[in-house]
Amino acid sequence: MVIRLLLGLIVVVFAFAVIRALAPARTVLAGAALAAGAVALVALNPAALATVEFWAGLVGFAAILSALMIVIHPNPMVSVLFLIVNLFCIALFYLILNAQFLAAIQIIVYAGAIMVLFLFVVMLLNLKAEEGLTARGGGLQRIGAVILGGLFAGLLFDAIRDRGAQPYFEPGSFASGFGTARELGGLLFTRYLFAFEAASLLLIAAMIGAVILAKRRLR
Amino acid sequence: MDPAVARVLVESTVKIALFFFVVLTVIAYMTWVERRVSAWIQDRRGPNRVGPFGLLQPLADGIKFLFKESIVPPHVYRPVYLLAPALIFIPSMVTLSVVPIGPAVSLFGWNIALQVADVDNGILVILAFASMGVYGIALAGWSSQNKYSLMGGLRSSAQLISYELAMGITVVGVLMTTGSLRLNDIVTHQIEHGWNVLYQLPGFLIFLTAAFAETNRLPFDLPEAETELVAGYHTEYSGMRFSMFYMAEYANMITGSALAATLYCGGYHVPGLHALGLSEPVAAAVQVLAFGAKVAFFLFVFVWVRWTLPRFRYDQLMNLGWKALLPIALLHLLWVSFLVLTGRG
Amino acid sequence: MRVEFFLLVAALLFTIGCVGVLVRRNAIVILMCIELMLNAVNLTFAAFAHESQSMTGHVFVFFVMTVAAAEAAVGLAIIIALFRRRRTTDIDDASLLRW
Repeated sequence: MVIRLLLGLIVVVFAFAVIRALAPARTVLAGAALAAGAVALVALNPAALATVEFWAGLVGFAAILSALMIVIHPNPMVSVLFLIVNLFCIALFYLILNAQFLAAIQIIVYAGAIMVLFLFVVMLLNLKAEEGLTARGGGLQRIGAVILGGLFAGLLFDAIRDRGAQPYFEPGSFASGFGTARELGGLLFTRYLFAFEAASLLLIAAMIGAVILAKRRLR
Repeated sequence: MDPAVARVLVESTVKIALFFFVVLTVIAYMTWVERRVSAWIQDRRGPNRVGPFGLLQPLADGIKFLFKESIVPPHVYRPVYLLAPALIFIPSMVTLSVVPIGPAVSLFGWNIALQVADVDNGILVILAFASMGVYGIALAGWSSQNKYSLMGGLRSSAQLISYELAMGITVVGVLMTTGSLRLNDIVTHQIEHGWNVLYQLPGFLIFLTAAFAETNRLPFDLPEAETELVAGYHTEYSGMRFSMFYMAEYANMITGSALAATLYCGGYHVPGLHALGLSEPVAAAVQVLAFGAKVAFFLFVFVWVRWTLPRFRYDQLMNLGWKALLPIALLHLLWVSFLVLTGRG
Repeated sequence: MRVEFFLLVAALLFTIGCVGVLVRRNAIVILMCIELMLNAVNLTFAAFAHESQSMTGHVFVFFVMTVAAAEAAVGLAIIIALFRRRRTTDIDDASLLRW
């Protein structure tokens, strides 16, 4: 039931994309009609809204869609924006997986700092959309990459499917501190202390390296 | 639907609606407060024509903005241009949702926390959405597709990320003495051990300075100054969208004040209220009013500083953020560690 | 919530990132696809941590994020340095071993 609802919503989104591509003038009308369709679909299966599977599926769809748009869209700034959306979806996944501290850290570090860095560079270099989409090896390189990517995905899917039955943990059975800052801090400062200190050294080295590499040479 | 889920949904919806209503009203009246207080500082009258003491002025301003023509310049990147004003507003609203405005009350047999979302890592939510606040301004500057807006957006984003570091470090100082990431626990700790402003005064001052920088208020408002870069990142915006930027700035001020009150000044705590022996709902109402008073005081400080100090030049601003506030914040962290080790904090 | 769902989504994100690195010419977009791959790996770690109720997965995610931040900073600095020289971020133009 959840899968049918999700498939229905995916069809609605693709229909909107198709209509927008084919008849740009009718975008608002199509958007309103399809939004009404989506709401109707959800209203027909209200019980699905309470399941984790539905929301996880929705977030997964958003993550995959934004990832595709990163790769497809020619304008690098738009790619940055879609990566931010993707990072948000992954933060939501962390919340579903009981990793609350990681979700917050993902937004603070990845979406709030690293992506600002990307945004700055794109704005500073004032990059426009890529002119011409032909790669050096011609279109053949791109088609080859996509086919090999598809094969790789198939390989990974196969490996995941053959995992066999693992014990399934009910949501309520976690130790109450799982995923909190306290637990993670406890591990970081005892068992993984060396890696923690090495990581801070790495960050200092990266900071110094970035400043030196990007410095303007004074003539 | 599960009755517990239904109850949470109803409770949250009512709280969110109330929060929105209150915050939007406060934003509207902040414009009035700003104009009257600035007039008082400059020894003149403020708006006093529209309604008694000019109290209907925000209403008149709102109606004016609504009736302005909505111009979207043709050269802008439309999707992001239309999205950017909302993107500035959203982080401050979400941050406000984790701030406790009062103690938990039991009304109608339910135990209601006076907080929209009582999450276990409230401080992390605040830091997360403080860092998300950069995007609205940077994207507004970029989507306008003109050199001045781009520069204004870049400068403003650089300023925001520089000061959010110092702010984060002072918040870590509060976290160290409290030992918990929940904002309710921070307020409870302050009720028991005294307000954080008393032993973490440098941290409080750094937090307040960083809050000024984060909200783009004078003396840190170079990116949007009228004499600089035309109007910075909101050059190409007019009418209702421009007023969204204005409102978002006040919303950010309210969030900054609420955070300063909660993290350093005891939140909803009224010292000595316990001795009065009031009944629970009345005590809760008094504490909510006390919280409101603290936020109002910080808002007044925001307006007061704006009309008193001159503006920083951009390089002075960045120097202050990196070379002055950051080392002082780190030293403050050493001080707080000393407090925690000796059992004082 | 079955953990295979998260593993599948992470695998898909990883392959999309891989294909992005191979297909795009703009150096910054390539760096972004690398970040996408790192995030997919983080998601896999978090999913396995959830399944085995062990916080070690979270520690790994923490370190991967740290290294990703350092790598993004240095990578972008290199791109800026290259851009100053060549006025383009097209990596097909940086195919010679000398300037």
